[in-house]
Amino acid sequence: MLQTAFNGVVTGVIMALPALAVTLLFGVLKFPNFAVGAMMTVAAYLAFALNAQLGWPLAAATVAAALAMGALCIGIDQLTFKPLRERGAITLMVASLGLGFILENVARFAYGNTARSFAIELARPFRVADVRMNHEQMITIVVSSAAMIAMWVLLTRLPIGRAMRAVADNPSLALVRGIESPRVIRWTWFLAGVLLALGGVLIGMDRALEPPMGSNYLISVFAAAILGGLGSPLGAFVGALVIGVVSELSTLVVAPNYRIGVPLLALAVILVFRPQGLFGQPYIRK
Amino acid sequence: MTSILKVSSLHAGYGAGDILKGIDVELPAGSILTIIGPNGSGKSTLAKTLAGLLRARQGSIELEGEPLNELSAPKRVLAGISYVPQEYNVFRNLTVLENLKIAREFMGANGHGGSALDGRLEELFPELPKHYRIAAGNLSGGQRQMLAFACALAVRPKLLILDEPSAGLSPILTREVFERVERVNRTGVSILMIEQNAIEALRISHSCVVLSGGRVRACASAKDVLGMKDLNSFYLGDASNCI
Repeated sequence: MLQTAFNGVVTGVIMALPALAVTLLFGVLKFPNFAVGAMMTVAAYLAFALNAQLGWPLAAATVAAALAMGALCIGIDQLTFKPLRERGAITLMVASLGLGFILENVARFAYGNTARSFAIELARPFRVADVRMNHEQMITIVVSSAAMIAMWVLLTRLPIGRAMRAVADNPSLALVRGIESPRVIRWTWFLAGVLLALGGVLIGMDRALEPPMGSNYLISVFAAAILGGLGSPLGAFVGALVIGVVSELSTLVVAPNYRIGVPLLALAVILVFRPQGLFGQPYIRK
Repeated sequence: MTSILKVSSLHAGYGAGDILKGIDVELPAGSILTIIGPNGSGKSTLAKTLAGLLRARQGSIELEGEPLNELSAPKRVLAGISYVPQEYNVFRNLTVLENLKIAREFMGANGHGGSALDGRLEELFPELPKHYRIAAGNLSGGQRQMLAFACALAVRPKLLILDEPSAGLSPILTREVFERVERVNRTGVSILMIEQNAIEALRISHSCVVLSGGRVRACASAKDVLGMKDLNSFYLGDASNCI
């Protein structure tokens, strides 16, 4: 059971990164971006190209892929979402579904359906209190935790982070407080791209690289973001941990094939009993 | 006295129709102008248009002779306009300190350094530092209004636009709000105030404009309006010309 819970924590910290990206994008742009899964896939393949094909160390390949994905997300926004911004959340959500489909198939076109893996040395797992841990899992926990702390510092201590939270809180007040929303939107996309790239690489390390690798996590990622409270960065982290651990623990009582049902069940329960999530604010119609 | 704000033949609105149908308003520098009028007369629409949240369809807005029409809301802040909306006028999920920091960082105050409140604001809003760590959404209505004022004044604006600053406040708090407005004006800030609470607002104002049906129905000195026997007919825009 301890081993299953530990595996759940690892799954949770991986999901925390895309869940935070979802919550940041939703907070500032007010639409659920269903392309996050495919964005993770594309970023993971970018890192794969640099690491396995060009021979870069995985750490350097990940940093380069994260920066590239950040820039790519800004470009995607300018081309895809910006022209639709005035048309409402439903239009943007549908556009994100189409975008996700395109991005995933670009990855499929480039690398096929064969599962691939990063060029990293295998190391012998070690045991702590009967829990088997491998190096990739430890790297995952460290990288994800460091990224979450960095995001917390950025959102609470830096002017651009405060501006992002201000735009998420009240966009029209932000305008009359001198905050230029286009600049905030560009930063939000860049940070979301970086988080999604890190998430994509960590999924690739934990499992394998294949075109649906990101979209396989989509329901769990949204369940985590909604459980935590859409728009709440802390909520995204806590929600991801809860969904990760509960999903893994559920395999002790139900067949692993039904594990995907756990986040769906969690979503239904959350939406019935606490629609604003654990850390979210109740919706107020303005 | 020179005008700080000059609005000429202003048209603005939502959707297909105009709410403002050719507004002319002039605000002498250093004074308080109160805009009154029945519900739906276009008072808040005027405030939003001046702040840049709503686009002027026709007419011109000038601040110290400089045209504002083409400036976005954030650019108007840098030009010297501070606007306090009627409601949702603080970032509810951010702390009091974060609200003040944002005002200093983005409204053209002295950048990132210094304390959240300078000496001038500390004197005007001595109660705020006690609440620095509290989320602004947890403040009382009066405290939120004071925080909104403090944020709007972080930049030493040339023109402060207040949209119903006493809305939803008790009579005691309303008096306190107007007292602060008067003190802010004494520091040299010109104020355009929209108010339903006409008598209290006119007591601290220099001039008054009545809006009705999106048009200016009357304008007069606040003193003259307060002295009127039939204030209601003036409030409803029965007077045909400026006094």
